Amino acid sequence: MEEMIRFSHVSKQYPGVLANDDVTLSINRGEVFSLVGENGAGKSTLMNLLYGMQPLTLGEITIGDQKIDAQHNPEKAMEMGVSMVHQHFKLVPSFTVAQNILLGHEPKKGLRYDFAAAERMVTELSETYGLHVNPKDVVGELSVGLQQRVEILKALRTGAKVLILDEPTAVLTPQETEELFTVIRGIVREKNMTVILITHRLPEVMRISDRVGVMKRGRLVKVLNAAEASEKEIASLMVGRDVIFDELRTKQPLGPEVLQIENLRAINDRMLPALQDVSLKVHAGEIVGVCGVEGNGQTELAECVMGMRPQTGGTVRLNGKDVSRMSPGEIRARGVSFIPEDRMRTGVDGKASVSDNLLLGKQREPRFSRFGIHMRQKRVKEYAKQQVEKYDIRTSGVDEPVSSLSGGNIQKVVIAREFDFGTPVLVISQPTRGVDIGAIEFIHERIMEKRNEGCAILLISADLDELFRLSDRLVTLYEGKITGEFETETITMEEIGFYMTGAKSQREGEETL
Amino acid sequence: MSNSFAQSIRALFRLKPAQKLNREYRISLLTAVLLAFLVGAMIMLICGFDPLKCYGALFEGALGKPRALGNTLAKTITLCLCGLAMSVASKAGVFNVGGEGQLYVGALAAAVVGAQCKGLSPWMVVVLALLAALVAGGAFALIPGAMKVYWKVDEVITTIMLNSVAISFCSYMANGPLKTAEKGIASGTDSIMKEAGFTKLIPLSNLTTGLFFAAAVALLVWYLMTRSSIGFEMRLTGDNDRFAKYGGISAQKLMLWSMILSGAICGLVGMLEVFGLHKRFLTTVSNEFYFDGMLVAMIMRYNPFGVIVMSFFFAILNIGGRSMELSAGISSEVILIIQSVIIFFMAAEGGIRATLQSRAAVRKARREAAERGNAA
Repeated sequence: MEEMIRFSHVSKQYPGVLANDDVTLSINRGEVFSLVGENGAGKSTLMNLLYGMQPLTLGEITIGDQKIDAQHNPEKAMEMGVSMVHQHFKLVPSFTVAQNILLGHEPKKGLRYDFAAAERMVTELSETYGLHVNPKDVVGELSVGLQQRVEILKALRTGAKVLILDEPTAVLTPQETEELFTVIRGIVREKNMTVILITHRLPEVMRISDRVGVMKRGRLVKVLNAAEASEKEIASLMVGRDVIFDELRTKQPLGPEVLQIENLRAINDRMLPALQDVSLKVHAGEIVGVCGVEGNGQTELAECVMGMRPQTGGTVRLNGKDVSRMSPGEIRARGVSFIPEDRMRTGVDGKASVSDNLLLGKQREPRFSRFGIHMRQKRVKEYAKQQVEKYDIRTSGVDEPVSSLSGGNIQKVVIAREFDFGTPVLVISQPTRGVDIGAIEFIHERIMEKRNEGCAILLISADLDELFRLSDRLVTLYEGKITGEFETETITMEEIGFYMTGAKSQREGEETL
Repeated sequence: MSNSFAQSIRALFRLKPAQKLNREYRISLLTAVLLAFLVGAMIMLICGFDPLKCYGALFEGALGKPRALGNTLAKTITLCLCGLAMSVASKAGVFNVGGEGQLYVGALAAAVVGAQCKGLSPWMVVVLALLAALVAGGAFALIPGAMKVYWKVDEVITTIMLNSVAISFCSYMANGPLKTAEKGIASGTDSIMKEAGFTKLIPLSNLTTGLFFAAAVALLVWYLMTRSSIGFEMRLTGDNDRFAKYGGISAQKLMLWSMILSGAICGLVGMLEVFGLHKRFLTTVSNEFYFDGMLVAMIMRYNPFGVIVMSFFFAILNIGGRSMELSAGISSEVILIIQSVIIFFMAAEGGIRATLQSRAAVRKARREAAERGNAA
């Protein structure tokens, strides 16, 4: 096997954090290498060093037989044959596929953009790699899977030998994931390229990779051959203990209907219809999971229930009382808590301390303020410390700003705050996105506890495993409409994928595609 | 006027708000002050003055005599209240650049009440004038506040524009309908009831019983911002209003009220100037006092206690500078240079410190790796 990339004794020091600690690793030509690890384990940091996003503190990286120098940057990395596709796409939505792929390297005819040449170049590129796109399509109108394909083509444009994909399947449907894997296998086999995947999803890791590198707290713990390793083994290496994904759900009788959504309509930020006549009921002691590819109305659904987005029609009722026109504060007062999907923008105030973030919503309770005005600082601190302990939030102190925590721990702050309201209704969006395996297990257990205590839970997630594991009932949301409703036991993931992508629908007369 | 204009004003003025006034920052601030004095000393040397003598004259002129101290304290009050007004709004995420205008309307309202309520007891007049100033300043701040909160109109633009409106309106009133019949007053209103004016605490100085109002307000603002649940809500709203709203805080109402409070404090400053110093409304009631207060607030990262301390320091520079000019002969412009250098360093502070810190981290990692190598 020919060596393609070598990290020798690589360390990366951020202020206060040693993100990579003496990593030595070599990656071969023509293999799919997966880098797995908990959040903050240093996977992305390592790849950012390779791709020149950050300078390394110590050690050496060689690409092929060239050493990278102190002035390494993404442009040089690409010249040396390393390309990276980030988790969040960097595409111009109003440009065509061809314009996006050739951005910054436009073919010119005199001073004018040569559209014909651009389209020809992109067609050639897409044929070379077997990634089919239409160069004339406008990127904003493409599905997420196709947008990713455009990103990959953009990365391959310079004739990359190494392709780094950061969490590529996070936003894809099972079918799209399958297509992506076909593409990866194709370029590795036919072009003898190297693909490095950064990911959380172990089943996918097992299916696609040749070798797996496990990282923990900045160190490379072990490199395994995927064929000889088991999912459980990798998971326990990642967290340093055995993680057993038990079946959490137990049968329990349904309580009364608590949350009723009827014919809900709403528009999204671009003023387009996001929800069209959505009707849902959640009983006490039940988790209803909302499946859907992102951008099909899940965000708007949660926001409407919480009063953070005006509705254009329909009603939301809590125990029979119409709360459609209420503010988030009023809705909270009536017994709803909310874990939002975008935790940095909505879920926390990054600049504020852990303790402030845990307090929000309770600041006027008599236990924390006299007459609702005078803050009892000591009690607030004590409370924060208790919560940090109870929810295993890893922080150097409750006065640290929340933004200094890792993603998983920030999510735990949100969960600790929201679960402690003890409300009968919970709206939970993407509870474990970007959260490491150890924390996922912990969060799932807490959610299940809430259900068993009799909470009515509306769970929205892009992670099908999570939805199947936790939900009693599943509904699929496609283009703002509910396309199916199932008891979890009666449907498979593959089958539900059809409802999520609009290929099937339970609604009459809409058996399209 | 475009939005990017507003953004660039924000960028120029904002100097990293919403961060803590932590130990590192205090050290940076002290360094900046020392460096600024050093720069000032160099200029004095170049101009052929003795820096020690000049600085001696500066502090002597600001603190040396009771009268000088009184003037310095009076200046501190003005700066400090303006700074607190700025801080109250900024903490909640509203950038009130319109304090100068709010100060003018407050001053005019207080002067009118002070002059018209003839038959009442002096105490009543003071209370009524105070209320008038608070209401006038607050109401004038309500306009840009409501436009920001309900229509998302950038408050930086509107407050700057409303400054001109307020100042022009007040000078029109003082030169026109409300112009006094007294001789020798160029542009001002009738004088207020004599007994209602504040008495001087230190003879011949500008320090009056208005100090007690100022102290009460400063205490109230400090408590509100740092010790109360409302301050907690304001802070979160200022940092991330979406988060505040999500958490059940009515962010819009809070922003509006903090803007009103900010305007009311500015109105109070106007009233203190009128009742303490001029005894009537004059078009020269303020000399960009609010903008100086704004700078103080920004340097101190909107920390109420810090604003009080820094106001005292700036007041020393301001009052001492004038007497330094008289006694040592050097132009007081050098004081402006010192102030600018402090602001310059504090604006660059974040970048300088981050660079130094990351270098130190790299050195530390190298050292540790070397030690590990030795141990192995």
